Amino acid sequence: MGPLVDALLRELDGYVAGQTLEVETIFVGGGTPTMLPPEELGRLLDRLRALARPGAELEFTVEANPATVTPEIAKVLVSAGVNRVSIGAQSFDVAELAVLERGHRPVQVAETVAVCREAGLGCVNLDLIFAIPGQTLESWLASLEQAIGLQPEHLSCYSLTFEPGTRLYDQLQAGKVTRVDQDLDAAMYERTIDTLSDAGYVHYEISNFSRPGYRCRHNLVYWHNEPYLGIGPSAAGLVDGARYKNVAEVAGYTEAVLAGRGPRVEEERRSIEQRARETAMLELRLIEGIDRRRFERRYGQDPVDFFSEAVRRHCETGLLEVTDQRVRLTRAGLLLADTVVADFL
Amino acid sequence: MNQELIRNFSIIAHIDHGKSTLADRMLHRSGAVAERDLKEQLLDTMDLERERGITIKASAVTIDMVVDGKTYMFNLIDTPGHVDFHYEVDRALAACEGALLVVDATQGVQAQTVANAYAAVGNDLEIIPVVNKIDLAGAGPEDTAIEVEHVLGISSENVQFVSAKSGDGVPELMKAIVEHLPPPTGDPDAPLQVLIFDSQYNDYRGVICYVRVMHGTLNKGRKILLMGRARNYMVTELGKFRPRMTPCDSLAAGETGYVVASIKTLKDVTVGDTITDAVHPAPEPLPGYQPPQLMVFCDFYPSSGETYNALREALERLSLNDSSFSYHPQQSDALGPGFRCGFLGLLHMEIVQERLERECGVSVVQTAPSVTYEVVLRDGKVERVEAAGDLPDASHIEELREPWVEMQIITPAEAIGNIMALAETKRGEYKRQEYISPQRVILTYEFPFNEILYDFYDKLKSITRGYGTMDYQVTDYRAGDLVKLDILVNHTPVDALSLICHRTKADHRGRRFLIKLRREIGRQQFEIRLQASIGHKIIASETIKPFRKDVTAKCYGGDVTRKRKLLEKQKKGKKRMKTVGSVDIPQKAFMTVLEPED
Repeated sequence: MGPLVDALLRELDGYVAGQTLEVETIFVGGGTPTMLPPEELGRLLDRLRALARPGAELEFTVEANPATVTPEIAKVLVSAGVNRVSIGAQSFDVAELAVLERGHRPVQVAETVAVCREAGLGCVNLDLIFAIPGQTLESWLASLEQAIGLQPEHLSCYSLTFEPGTRLYDQLQAGKVTRVDQDLDAAMYERTIDTLSDAGYVHYEISNFSRPGYRCRHNLVYWHNEPYLGIGPSAAGLVDGARYKNVAEVAGYTEAVLAGRGPRVEEERRSIEQRARETAMLELRLIEGIDRRRFERRYGQDPVDFFSEAVRRHCETGLLEVTDQRVRLTRAGLLLADTVVADFL
Repeated sequence: MNQELIRNFSIIAHIDHGKSTLADRMLHRSGAVAERDLKEQLLDTMDLERERGITIKASAVTIDMVVDGKTYMFNLIDTPGHVDFHYEVDRALAACEGALLVVDATQGVQAQTVANAYAAVGNDLEIIPVVNKIDLAGAGPEDTAIEVEHVLGISSENVQFVSAKSGDGVPELMKAIVEHLPPPTGDPDAPLQVLIFDSQYNDYRGVICYVRVMHGTLNKGRKILLMGRARNYMVTELGKFRPRMTPCDSLAAGETGYVVASIKTLKDVTVGDTITDAVHPAPEPLPGYQPPQLMVFCDFYPSSGETYNALREALERLSLNDSSFSYHPQQSDALGPGFRCGFLGLLHMEIVQERLERECGVSVVQTAPSVTYEVVLRDGKVERVEAAGDLPDASHIEELREPWVEMQIITPAEAIGNIMALAETKRGEYKRQEYISPQRVILTYEFPFNEILYDFYDKLKSITRGYGTMDYQVTDYRAGDLVKLDILVNHTPVDALSLICHRTKADHRGRRFLIKLRREIGRQQFEIRLQASIGHKIIASETIKPFRKDVTAKCYGGDVTRKRKLLEKQKKGKKRMKTVGSVDIPQKAFMTVLEPED
């Protein structure tokens, strides 16, 4: 693990050199940073913490799989200034976890949450997945209730995506697992929105819910199409108007960076019009939608005019609504967001 | 050249019975091609003439063959192997005096053996049966010879036994050609009559005509007349394929070769036409000329990403070197402007569609192919209709006639029951059955062409475990109880989806078709109603529920580019579709009518 952290810090140095970044949020993701040996993790987090704008109310998140957060790790996190932990709970059903090939037992989610609370981590997010092959509406709602019972400040509820390159995708292609029926998927999603709203969570993005005041500021940066730095294997970033992506393999990444070569494998600079379209694509994911004034300030045109054809079409179909302030998806539109958003591209 | 020393013949055979191997063997034996150049199937692939990137198919090769100390000129005339090209086969045979009928000793007489033999007999050709592959394990040369005699009435005394692969028996075959096949008998001093039996387009020379001089002598520089088209040209080059194009000054009666005469496009030349002298024309053309009979029609429309003009240009380009398909503008209510195209058969249609996409890079939406129907109107007029969408209103129709074919099926005897059952489902009419041998049978049936167009061959292959073979020819038009089946999408008839079928099959066909359409169209933003109707009567309906959910759950770690590209890809996927009303209909849906029925 030593060389990886060396490489991460080396890549970071390249961005920091000669300027102050003054970051507002930090997100250490990729599933299992908590698998790092405590001293290595501490070395990385301390260095990241130092990037924060002095006096900023830093949001500092670390992702963790259940059962990887020991009290010792939790202490490292807190002492490095981490104040938010995102736990990959996924499901509270043993069979469903097996389909997802997750190694933890359901009870370990509660244990992990307890360890984090004990250590003083003030904001806990749980990642959950629905529409798992074999899952019923009842079993999903049961998982959701268990999650609510742990009183997280934030919940991300994702409908399962079959990603090419994963085993689950191959199994789907081979006919060994079956996709959940579209109507059931939709019912699960709608019940999720209702259940979490009743439990006092605010639905603020297609798949994200939080207690008031606990929206994930880091993810909001993505959704508002604002700049962010991405460090590490497979990381993506948006810096100075250019999007880039790093090589995915850890070994390839480490080797490239330590050899003094850049780890980027993709780079693209987008025109102002393309950026405007991307912003619409991203902000429509937010329940509050596109802020018309803000969009006009950024791109020089009201989105209602900029996307007049798409706006007209989808207002007619009832998937989109326009208010004085905003352009946003309706409740029906949330379920068909890709159909709508495609017309904004 | 002394006509006594010329032999014009075709090698005819069922597919894979060794026609090309035998031709290659003869080329090699004559010294026209060295052993090291003797690539497999030389006559078929012909990459010899790849001058400037243009391949010229050599369907007529001239070789010198020494037999008993005398040098003979052998002209080998190739024939197309597929049932779509019967007329072309017939014209190629008309250029010959004889034919070698090649039969595989491991397979015996097959359907195209019979069809080709009949075509040769029809052209008064002398036939030498050649039993090939005698060196293979499992070969039954004697039995095969008996089958030939039994089925075709060709005496087994004349049968030649060869292995084209090893060369065994080939010298004896050369001798038999000289002894049994008659030399040509044309009069070199009579008015010029030259048969065009094939043609090819070359970017540099224009059209190259493959010809047989029947009477008279053709010289370089001659002014010629194409009698079918009544157009004059000047011969700029003529020669023979040896197998490279080898120019010469004249071709006399009895000889074959090629003619180049500044003919711009293949549209100006029709296979079967007669070339004569423009100044002293022959009183009449050679018999047997027919314009190409287009049997199968379908429409091509530009798919969403393409333009009408791009499609038109691609069709123009293709027609430069395939004159046998037709196209003319067609306006569809549902699909907009496109082209109605006619083909010799289904294979021909598939070839053209594939070349459009592969060579011209134009993607098309293709409608299901249709045979041509004859419509007798109430006022007595008779019209030809190439697509169901063009049928006049039923109240104006007195009678609807469809083309019928006569089909020969050769099959192992144990499959007869299954074939009869299949024929029943296809409205087949049994004519007769003849035993070729105790194990094998020729069945003769008549079918409506429409019924056997799509999946008959595949089904025959499957119920005979690959042993059944078939061949057919369109014979006539017969009145039938035919109806037009309309397909409505959200209550709007889609002309490109309608079809003509027999009344007794309409219900089943309509129901099956809608189920397949439902699957192809898939869920979309709104509920979609599909209906099948005859006239105003709805005979089947299906509903496609709208999309319930279409949303990417997660924006992975800020990888916005990836998300955007996924959405763009989805959007692009819609381009191979046609939008009818607000419904996106994928290309495949227009072809589902062709899928085998269960």
